[in-house]
Amino acid sequence: MKIKIDGLECEANYGEYILEVAKRNGIHIPTLCHTDALPGQGSCRLCIVEVIEGGKNKVVVSCLYPVTNEIEVLTNSDKIRRMRKNIIRLLAARAPESEHIRKLKEEYKVPEEKRFNVDKGEKCILCGLCVRACEAVGVYAISSVNRGITKKISPPFEEPPEDCIGCGACAQVCPTGAIALKEFEGKRVIWDKTFELVKCSVCGNYFTTREQYEFLKQKYGLEAEEFLCDKCRKKSTAQKLVF
Amino acid sequence: MFEEGEHMIESILKRYPKERRFLLAILQDIQRTYNYLPRKALNEVREYLDIPLSSLYSMATFYRALSLKPKGKYVIRVCDGTACHIRGSMNLLEEIKRELSLLPGEITPDGKFSLETVNCLGSCAIAPVMMINERVYGNLKPDMLKEIFSSLGGEENG
Ligand code: SF4
Ligand code: FES
Ligand code: FES
Repeated sequence: MKIKIDGLECEANYGEYILEVAKRNGIHIPTLCHTDALPGQGSCRLCIVEVIEGGKNKVVVSCLYPVTNEIEVLTNSDKIRRMRKNIIRLLAARAPESEHIRKLKEEYKVPEEKRFNVDKGEKCILCGLCVRACEAVGVYAISSVNRGITKKISPPFEEPPEDCIGCGACAQVCPTGAIALKEFEGKRVIWDKTFELVKCSVCGNYFTTREQYEFLKQKYGLEAEEFLCDKCRKKSTAQKLVF
Repeated sequence: MFEEGEHMIESILKRYPKERRFLLAILQDIQRTYNYLPRKALNEVREYLDIPLSSLYSMATFYRALSLKPKGKYVIRVCDGTACHIRGSMNLLEEIKRELSLLPGEITPDGKFSLETVNCLGSCAIAPVMMINERVYGNLKPDMLKEIFSSLGGEENG
C-alpha cells in the first residue's frame, strides 16, 4: 500500500512499522532504543511522528506503529520537533553523561536544565535493550532491579554476574554507551567481571572470551577444538565449498 | 533465621508446581516465613523453578513487600504520607533515631527492631501514624514512643 512520509510517496507492506518504511526510503527519524536486531522496544519515545488519517492527526511511536491504512506521516513537523525537544530534555536530565544524548541536546537546542534534578554521572536511559540482548544470547545475566527512581540495570546482588559469558552483546546494543567494556592485555572486563580472551588460531587476533566460546560450542554443538574467529571461519567454510 | 528453618523452604516449594508463574507467591511465602528473602533460599527457588537468578533478583527488588535484608522481630512502619508528614512524622523518625539508634531501612544489632517508612497507611484521621507489626498506633507524639518500645522490650537498645 501507498503511504506518504514528509510528502514522499512510499510503498509499505501491511503491518510494517512506519520507521522501517521511512528508513527504506532514506527518511531519517531519530531513535535511541531501536535496533534492527531487537525491534519493538519502544521505550525512549524519541522516534515519535505525526500520523494523519481520515482528517485526524495523532502522535505515534514510529518504531512500533504498524501501517494498516493509506496514511500520511510527518516526521519533523513543528509539533513533533517541540515534543521531541521535551523528550530529549528529560532524557538529558536522566543521562547527562551520554555523548549521543548531548549531541541530540545540541541539535534540538535544549537549554541547560534548571528545573529538574539531573542524574549526575548517569548514561543509562533504562531502555532495557541490554537486558533483551542478553536474553537473546540465552544467558540472562542482567535485569532491571528496584523500581521508581532507584530503578537500574544490574546483575543480581550487584555483583559480577555468575552467568555472564563476557560476550559484550549488552554493551554493543546500548544506545548511550552506558555499559563499560574494557579490553587490555588479552583480558576483557565487563560488569566488573574479568574474562580471558582467546586468539583465533588462524589470524592470531583476540576475538572472544573463553566462556563465550565454550557457551557457543555447547549451544551449537561446535566440535572444533581450534579457535576460529568469524572471518577465518567464513574463509575456511568458503574454501571447503570451493574445493 | 535461615539456618534454623532450612527445611521450611522445601515445604514451601513443595506447595507449588515447578512453574514460573508461582515465583511471586513463593517469594511471598519465604518472606512471611523468614521475614526476609535469604540468599540461600533464593538459590533454591532458582533451582526449583529453573529460572535465571537475574529474573528472581529483579522481582525481589521490585516489590516493597519483599526484602533482601533481614527485618526485625518488630517491624516499625512510620507513615510519611502527606497527612502524617504534615502532622510531624519527621519528629517521630527523629525520636526513633534517638531512642533506638535506628534509621529507615535499618535493623537494630540484636535484630529486635527494624524501621521503614511507608506512604499512607490509610488512617490519616489519626495522623501521625505508625505500625509495629500488625498493630496501629495513632495520634502519636514523639514522647510516647519510648514507652511503646520498652513495652516491647526495647529499652536495652537505647
Ligand atoms: S545500559 Fe544502555 S541498553 Fe541497557 S537500559 Fe541502559 S541505556 Fe538501555
Ligand atoms: S526508537 Fe522508538 S521508542 Fe525508542
Ligand atoms: S498519611 Fe499517614 S495514614 Fe495517611
